[in-house]
Amino acid sequence: MTENSMPPADHLANPPQPALRLHRELTRVWSNAPGIRGVFTAVNHSTIGLRFMCTALIFFGIGGLLAMLIRTQLATRKGAFLDTEIYNQIFTMHGSIMMFLFAIPMLEGLAMYLLPKMLGTRDMAFPRLSAFGYWCYLFGGLILIGALLMGVAPRDGWFMYTPLSGSTYSPGINADVWLLGVTFVEISALAAAVEITVTILRMRAPGMKLTQMPLFAWYILGAAVMMLAGFPPLILGSVLLEIERAFGWPFFDPERGGDPLLWQHLFWLFGHPEVYIIFLPAAGILSTVIPVLSRTRILGYGAIVASILGLVFLSFGLWVHHMFAVGIPHMALAFFSAASLLVAVPTAVQVFAWIGTMWKGRPQLKLPMLYILGFFFTFVMGGLTGVMLAIVPFNWQAHDTAFVTAHLHYVLIGGFVFPMMAGLAYWLPMISGRRRIKGLGELAFWTILVGFHGTFFIMHLTGLVGMPRRIDVYPDHPEWEMLNLVSSVFSFVMTFGFALFALDCILQAWLGKHARRDPWKAPTLDWAMALPPPAYNFASLPRPDMTGSEYAGGAEVALTLARGEGVLPGAPRGHREVLVTGIGHASPQHVAILPANTALPIQFAASIGVFVLMMLFGLYYVALAALLPVLWFAWRWARALVPAGSVPPVEIAPGLQLPTHYDSAATLTGSGLACFLFANGTFFASLIFGLAFITLVSPGPAPPPLEGQAAVSAMLIAGGLLAAALASLVPGRALKEVSEAGSPLRLIAFGLAANLAALAALAGLAIWQLGDPRVHAQTAVRAALLGYVALQLFITAIFAAFALDQARRGELAAGHLGALRHWNLWQGYTLAIGAISAAVIWAQVLSQ
Amino acid sequence: MKGRGLLWLGLVALGPAIWAAAFTLVYALHGAGCAAGWAGIDAGPVSLHRLLMLLGWLAGITAGGWLLLRLPAGKDRETWLPRAGALIGLFATLFTLVPVLFASSC
Repeated sequence: MTENSMPPADHLANPPQPALRLHRELTRVWSNAPGIRGVFTAVNHSTIGLRFMCTALIFFGIGGLLAMLIRTQLATRKGAFLDTEIYNQIFTMHGSIMMFLFAIPMLEGLAMYLLPKMLGTRDMAFPRLSAFGYWCYLFGGLILIGALLMGVAPRDGWFMYTPLSGSTYSPGINADVWLLGVTFVEISALAAAVEITVTILRMRAPGMKLTQMPLFAWYILGAAVMMLAGFPPLILGSVLLEIERAFGWPFFDPERGGDPLLWQHLFWLFGHPEVYIIFLPAAGILSTVIPVLSRTRILGYGAIVASILGLVFLSFGLWVHHMFAVGIPHMALAFFSAASLLVAVPTAVQVFAWIGTMWKGRPQLKLPMLYILGFFFTFVMGGLTGVMLAIVPFNWQAHDTAFVTAHLHYVLIGGFVFPMMAGLAYWLPMISGRRRIKGLGELAFWTILVGFHGTFFIMHLTGLVGMPRRIDVYPDHPEWEMLNLVSSVFSFVMTFGFALFALDCILQAWLGKHARRDPWKAPTLDWAMALPPPAYNFASLPRPDMTGSEYAGGAEVALTLARGEGVLPGAPRGHREVLVTGIGHASPQHVAILPANTALPIQFAASIGVFVLMMLFGLYYVALAALLPVLWFAWRWARALVPAGSVPPVEIAPGLQLPTHYDSAATLTGSGLACFLFANGTFFASLIFGLAFITLVSPGPAPPPLEGQAAVSAMLIAGGLLAAALASLVPGRALKEVSEAGSPLRLIAFGLAANLAALAALAGLAIWQLGDPRVHAQTAVRAALLGYVALQLFITAIFAAFALDQARRGELAAGHLGALRHWNLWQGYTLAIGAISAAVIWAQVLSQ
Repeated sequence: MKGRGLLWLGLVALGPAIWAAAFTLVYALHGAGCAAGWAGIDAGPVSLHRLLMLLGWLAGITAGGWLLLRLPAGKDRETWLPRAGALIGLFATLFTLVPVLFASSC
């Protein structure tokens, strides 16, 4: 079936079945394992999404407690509550927890929980990856919290500027905890971004066109793509700084040709888009809840999608506005100042669309709407101070003062926390299956609102009278004391409000009366199911006549689907089956059989955790050995996807059969790999940026002359490229061979050998020609580039080895192409980045 | 979007992508030019540095304008969104890079 060949809706209808029988059949297949086993083996999106959200809220509580300690310390000018060392750790951990352990995981959890329900499917595209991401998040978060409890938490601010975070000024493991812990956590962000992207593009219910899907999905798609592009620079920066701290490669050391500004560039290349990564899902909640509670449709669907598009791109052109005070030439300042002003336009378009929606509808002042009004009041003020900070002269005046702290809290609490609480109030009846207890939520809202503005509005003034951020005492500035005291008092009011909110949620889940179906009368698919939702979401999947607009769903649809009258009813084959559809029109393409409950995700994440801990404790050789279990679990992960035998096509409606993903070309795995390669490419581009920056812009001493002989270097580079080029011919030819029923064993073995030969050439280049990477930043960044190419070659060799194993087992046949297609993709990427790296290194050498 | 979902998505993103490419190009030329001293080399009424950045900017405007002219007009979302993307890209290119006309370069 091609992308555009959509069968008529009545051809996709199945005869009605007893709803209870279908429910039992599906529950048996889709439920988590019972008891403690279920804790470690669950992969279901509702479970994992809830785990993400609950864990994020616990971390939010911890971060909030740290904020209270900060405010207690600052309430008086000679505060003796905390000493400077502990204060530094606390404000660093407050920011890091709120950003990396609360905001991002919270949005990931909400997206994982809601997306399949909104899109009319039964799970995310890669359930094991969801679970793996959760365990990485939990283990990474525990490393950070454990360090805090032991008094060795990071203390250099949540953006970890060098040289303060370098080994000279931050000896000990404090900074390493941040670099390794946060990077571990970010694995989960990348995993979530890949599967969110693939789920939205490939798993929408039949007929749900991209231009008709719920706006929430557009927002989450935008955020996921931004995560794919935004997190790699941070991961690169963290890796480089950890290498500098552990092995002395001087990427950021100006005395050896490095530049601390490179860290700032890499950090803010992530850090500013991060603000929009957090804001977009929150705006998605607003665009979903506002029309429902205004009893109307959203105004300007197309304009909002265009605004999301604008934000996704423009937010990557603003990062330098965090660096206006570092001495950047006027023209560069002007570029980024202009982009910072421009980004207010798409945000304003959305704000006007939301106001217009409320204007044309009949808004109901229910609890979610209160939080939405709180959002408007707060976020607009935060946006306006953002426009002030985009103006360079004002920025210089307010730089590093409490004004900036106030601005960022207005944007983040206004733009993320208020909408998220609106969302929780809106979806909690779905999640808990219970109604809320009236009155408590309203009291919590007003307490939070008053407490927040009392704390942070005053903080603008504190900043304008000159108080720098991150100081623990101010004995010589009595004029700041009253302002700080007022902020501190109101901050406790705000905390009390958040405690009330938490109590409201707990009481609702515990004592609330059972909620009726679709309590908001929402016209979307997420409410077209029983409350709380069953593990499988839909007994049968929605048909095109149920998804023809962004307003699908309703009670009629819920009953029809529960009786199995949609597509792919029940689970008669005992598998977790979902429908994979085309990107544009969502026409059915094949049936994917998703993996069932498994402990592999926690085992895989734990093996990475051991590696991270070994690195943290400086046991580098042991860390190297700890990579072996990581490889073992990665291999098992892939092996678990290989079918035991042939899998027959699946009848999704009477007379309409579709192949399973084992016999299909455009699989979810292929799409996921393409997304991952996009993130990988961003990582590579950031590394090239780092090399260019250190070569062209960094001040400091000239690099030492090259140690090796140019002719030998050229031969090794040419040899490595030739081997990689030969290897890149293999997967395609092997695919052809398999399709023609031939045996590709020797061909694949040649491909593996060619990749290993390319790896050997790189090793030769590193050992004999490169020079000591500890001597100068240019040598170090060159070595980092070679290391990156070597890693890609190594992964390519693993692909080849896997394909070889499949060929040896006789698992490759026409229609069953195993790992060959994915190897082909990775091999092509590796050849491309190898060629670019060779050219770049050559240009760098010539520039010397 | 008919039958070509990924292509349509690419078309929607093409306008802003042109801005991103032009912005990156001009910023890279700015950094490279300051490092290599192009600001001190005359190229007619302006320096070589400014000339190169101006050319980068004009290339972005030309590409964005060309895209906008090539895309069909229409009110349905599938036709409208690629044009909206092209407009966003073109306006962003014009606005964010206009400092090449007047700001001091290094």
